[in-house]
Amino acid sequence: MSILSIENLHANVGETEILRGINLKIEPGEVHAVMGPNGSGKSTLSYVLAGRDGYCVTDGSVEFKDIDLLELEADERANEGVFLAFQYPVEVPGVTGMTFLREAYNSRLRYEGKEEADAMEFLKLVRSKAKDLNMSDDMLKRPVNVGFSGGEKKRNEILQMAVLEPKLAILDETDSGLDIDALKLVADGVNALRTNERSMLIITHYQRLLDYIKPDHVHVLARGQIQRSGGKELALELEANGYAGFDGKG
Amino acid sequence: MNTSIGPAAPFNDFIDSASGESAHENLGEWLSEIKEKGRDEFYKLGWPSPKLESWRYTNLNKLAKTQFRLPQTTELDKLPCHNIIPIDAPRIVLINGKLKRELSDLSEIGEGIFINSFQDMRDEQRALFCLANHAILPKEGLPIKALNDAILSGALFIEIMPGWQSDVPLHIVSIGYGDHVGFSSKIFVSAGENSQVNLLETHAGDSGSTYFSSCVSNIDIKAGARLGHYKFQNDTNTSTHLALAQTSIEADAVYDNFVMSVGGILSRNEVRSLITAPGVECCVNGAYLGTSNQHIDNTTFIEHAAEGSKSREVFKGVLADHAKGVFQGKIFVHPEAQKTDGYQMNRALLLSDKAEIDSKPELEIYADDVRCSHGATVGELEEEHLFYLKARGIDAESARRLLVEGYLGEVIDEIQSQVIRETLSKVASDLLKKKLFERSDGR
Repeated sequence: MSILSIENLHANVGETEILRGINLKIEPGEVHAVMGPNGSGKSTLSYVLAGRDGYCVTDGSVEFKDIDLLELEADERANEGVFLAFQYPVEVPGVTGMTFLREAYNSRLRYEGKEEADAMEFLKLVRSKAKDLNMSDDMLKRPVNVGFSGGEKKRNEILQMAVLEPKLAILDETDSGLDIDALKLVADGVNALRTNERSMLIITHYQRLLDYIKPDHVHVLARGQIQRSGGKELALELEANGYAGFDGKG
Repeated sequence: MNTSIGPAAPFNDFIDSASGESAHENLGEWLSEIKEKGRDEFYKLGWPSPKLESWRYTNLNKLAKTQFRLPQTTELDKLPCHNIIPIDAPRIVLINGKLKRELSDLSEIGEGIFINSFQDMRDEQRALFCLANHAILPKEGLPIKALNDAILSGALFIEIMPGWQSDVPLHIVSIGYGDHVGFSSKIFVSAGENSQVNLLETHAGDSGSTYFSSCVSNIDIKAGARLGHYKFQNDTNTSTHLALAQTSIEADAVYDNFVMSVGGILSRNEVRSLITAPGVECCVNGAYLGTSNQHIDNTTFIEHAAEGSKSREVFKGVLADHAKGVFQGKIFVHPEAQKTDGYQMNRALLLSDKAEIDSKPELEIYADDVRCSHGATVGELEEEHLFYLKARGIDAESARRLLVEGYLGEVIDEIQSQVIRETLSKVASDLLKKKLFERSDGR
């Protein structure tokens, strides 16, 4: 059974059709990269998968494991194991990272019909996850993302991912706004979370992230469709030649 | 008696009966005098009209047309504990404005604080003296003060000795009890030089009670003292609460005030602070939560009459359903108050189309070397915040609750006392669950 199976997916934002028939299959443990020029529909794809309001699916289907993903609310999708690492993690004033993450973690436990974790139990879990990632859990004492640097925000996303242990992680332009040192740190975190079970969908404009997170498959998204699929070498080809020939202008 | 001024309103009958009452109470002539003066003053001033700038947004017409009566009894023998701040601290309990010794517990108060109620006239001559002395001070244009005098039921005189410093807060619990009863109380606080104390007030009612509660506080903070003054206004949802706190602050003293108003059909908390000397830090902050058709008014006035002092004022409110909030904040800087540092901010979060906030931040500055800023914002919960939380598995209702809690948490963080901050933060969280998010409680 595939983790994710997207067939002929069409989606609108407002009146505009952005996704125009996407087909994509991801197996357990696979890392797929979706690359594309600005405006190709990359972020729309990630929001449609995560279930954001305002993104209207007009045709096609998305199966996650054996569930019709499009039938679920955003929070239900997350609790089934879909995790979206945001391109621009949102600042949430007044809510500490610890409160936020514990609420998220317990939501999953409730969803699965299990007992909630108490504060001490959860603190231990977070500390050990942070340690595995070579991070400090200090940032969780502060309000979520408030005043964080670009690098801190992205690392916070990775720490959340480590705690919530998704089956499918969607990384939306995780490299944007990062210098090379921060990029390496974040990529190390992502690599530490790769397992034979966990699948990843990496959405990026630039090839450089893929120097650090090696994908099994690379797809080129342009004009709302996957134009070409291949292995790692496709990313290098794009790096050399750009998206000319895919964006409909060339 | 001058009842000819203005149309006879049901409330006036109540005032008249209140002024006749003290004869039964063996409290001396001075009380009758305060009441009579208050009554005459109130009849002269009349109810604050919406034409007055500071009463434009809060209309007392309905209150004036309501018939109240004097509390017949104070036979409430158990505190409505779920309505008051859950804190283990020495407490003094007023039922319908009158001291109730059986419910009070001052055993841990320490030797540096003296508390007298005016029912104890045998032993506390000094309290009586101070009370009378303060009460006859002319307070122009303040009908609320006159009304408070006219129906005066009880008073507390709290004297903090110079140099007395204590971590143990003093909890003043004022409970309204009965059906359409009206009462008023006065609290006088004198914080001696270099003293440090936290006062906590809970204003609440016994379930099902409907009452009118008026509370006037006069606070003197002497040089170098630090007074934390925190109030939880949680009156029953049919009751009216009108409060006026006047504070005078001397050199290098700190006044940390916080009002959390969540109760009553109509409430007004007016805080007036006068900075009389340099080096003062004056914080007047607050949080409010309005649901159903509550009307919550926070009016503040900070007067800088000396140079080199700092004031800070942050209010945040959450309004749902048909609730209406009023914020009026003014920082007044006298010509001699150079180097004043003033900050004022009111933020409101509207959770419904029918909720309303009238926000009026004002600066009036007559000195040329000052740093003052003010602002106001009104907003709704943002979709991108909600989506971020939902994308982590948090359901919509819990996400809303977390965001609102965080919103109020930011202003509760302004409270300087850690114990009070943590206590009120818990209170706010529980209230949000109870008043706004009952569904997410049921799991």
